[in-house]
Amino acid sequence: MMARIRTLPHSRVVTAYLIAVALLVALPILTNLSIYTHNLMTLTFLSVAGALAWNWMGGFLGQVSFGHAAMFGVGGFVAARILLWAPVPAPLAWLAGGLVAGIFALGAHPTLRLRGPYFSIATIGLGEAARLIFTYWEDFTGGSSGLSLPIDPDMKHCLYWWCLGLVVLVAAASWFIRRSALGLQLLAIKADADAAADLGVSATFYQDLMFCLSGAVMGLTGGMWASYFSFIEPNDMFGFDRSIGFVLMAVIGGVGTVWGPILGAVVFVLLRQYLLASYPQLYLGLYGLLLIFIILFEPLGLTGLLLRLWRRLRISRLAA
Amino acid sequence: MPLLATRTLSKNFGGLKAVDGLDLVLEEGQILGVIGPNGAGKTTLFSLIAGSIPPSSGEVLLDGTRVNGQQAYRMVRAGVVRTHQIVRPFPNLTVLENVMVGAIHARGRATGAARDRAEEVIGFVGLGDRTHSLPGTLTLAGRKRLELARALATAPRVLMLDEVIAGLNPSEAQGLAVLIRRIRDERSVSVIMIEHVMPAVMSLSDRVLVLDQGRKIAEGTPLEVVNDPAVVVAYLGENHGGATA
Repeated sequence: MMARIRTLPHSRVVTAYLIAVALLVALPILTNLSIYTHNLMTLTFLSVAGALAWNWMGGFLGQVSFGHAAMFGVGGFVAARILLWAPVPAPLAWLAGGLVAGIFALGAHPTLRLRGPYFSIATIGLGEAARLIFTYWEDFTGGSSGLSLPIDPDMKHCLYWWCLGLVVLVAAASWFIRRSALGLQLLAIKADADAAADLGVSATFYQDLMFCLSGAVMGLTGGMWASYFSFIEPNDMFGFDRSIGFVLMAVIGGVGTVWGPILGAVVFVLLRQYLLASYPQLYLGLYGLLLIFIILFEPLGLTGLLLRLWRRLRISRLAA
Repeated sequence: MPLLATRTLSKNFGGLKAVDGLDLVLEEGQILGVIGPNGAGKTTLFSLIAGSIPPSSGEVLLDGTRVNGQQAYRMVRAGVVRTHQIVRPFPNLTVLENVMVGAIHARGRATGAARDRAEEVIGFVGLGDRTHSLPGTLTLAGRKRLELARALATAPRVLMLDEVIAGLNPSEAQGLAVLIRRIRDERSVSVIMIEHVMPAVMSLSDRVLVLDQGRKIAEGTPLEVVNDPAVVVAYLGENHGGATA
């Protein structure tokens, strides 16, 4: 149904992307990564995938969700339950988690007519409702004491590549969405939903679609997260600060861009790791300050800063 | 059978009858002018036909099939598209991208990529040299042409123009009037146009419909309509009832 509107990505971009992926694939094999770094990178990949998926709603469609942890949690618990129930391969359980989370995301359909801040507030409500429901649904989630998962150390080691694979797919999907007829329509809806409708674009259909896709990736991420920690607990999986985390990653890196959420998630995870260790009381406050600075001075976040730097370099090179 | 018709179409906002039992007929290949004083219900009429708001009663017929109750995006795909009096381009998208949004769901999904179709329409409305500009850099006349191009990219059968000529200087207005005629003649699109600029309405319209307080008070050729006493009263008040327009 989609009309093709643009050609394939620039070959230099593809080459750079493939080289970066190849380096990341080979890194743990070629070098002697410490377990700490190996694990930190695995978690970073999961955050990158989550931030990219959040950006499909918050960036491309302009619907800022503060409730994405709900899908993350649903995916996590579905995958966990499947792994506890039968000896299926973990990737199948993750996929099932993603699928259920994607369907679960469609439950947000009633928020469709809300735009801007009203949508955001509604997602806070939905996210918190999900957290409470799953916390009290002890038969499924184990309540506040959570669930422990069996996991063999090999799998935990291999998660690095599984998570990297997820990022590679989600990043490529982001790029194609951004460049396709789909992305163009999302941007049109973001700019003016009524004007888009007057050109044949159904805002409700695309919002449902993106919420579902974004939720499915969230669910996949949640399932892998559960396998990684081999223990999950509703208040953590569905936590409000987890939802905020995805928002922060995208905002820090650059909302609505393809590379922004990747950059933002990497910076967010590393900064968090450092700040939590050094200034555990201050770290949320520091994020707040960072957010204020970005929104005031560079709404496109790090991507915007880099673009500015790049332009200045090019101008000075042209002048020379 | 007329291409588009309304039957006793009405819209109430609370106690206000914005459109009141209106019968309208648009034949294939026609340009129908809609005039009337401010607040006569002209734009509401467009919103009803376009599916932006549901009618209180009455119906809209496309090819004799009842289509009211359809949402705006479905009406576009059925071939009925509107422009807005206050142009609403997507500010962050280039002219080409703006028009491509319209081209994606073009009726009948005409062959060729959306991009090619968009470029063709941009050339047709005379914005060929501004393809990659942002809408904010265009003049008002340019933005009105962009609004037209976006609507045309959907490959409509019925194009509803809400004051595309108003606010332009005489030479720009002349240019757009020529364009509207070409849209009908070269792209076989039937047009309903709301317009206050009388010379444009008089020269372009095959028929003119006059609205006042939501009701049709006159209909006919441009010449018949301006000489209709009811029209003169609606525009100039009772005391001028005897004067000729």
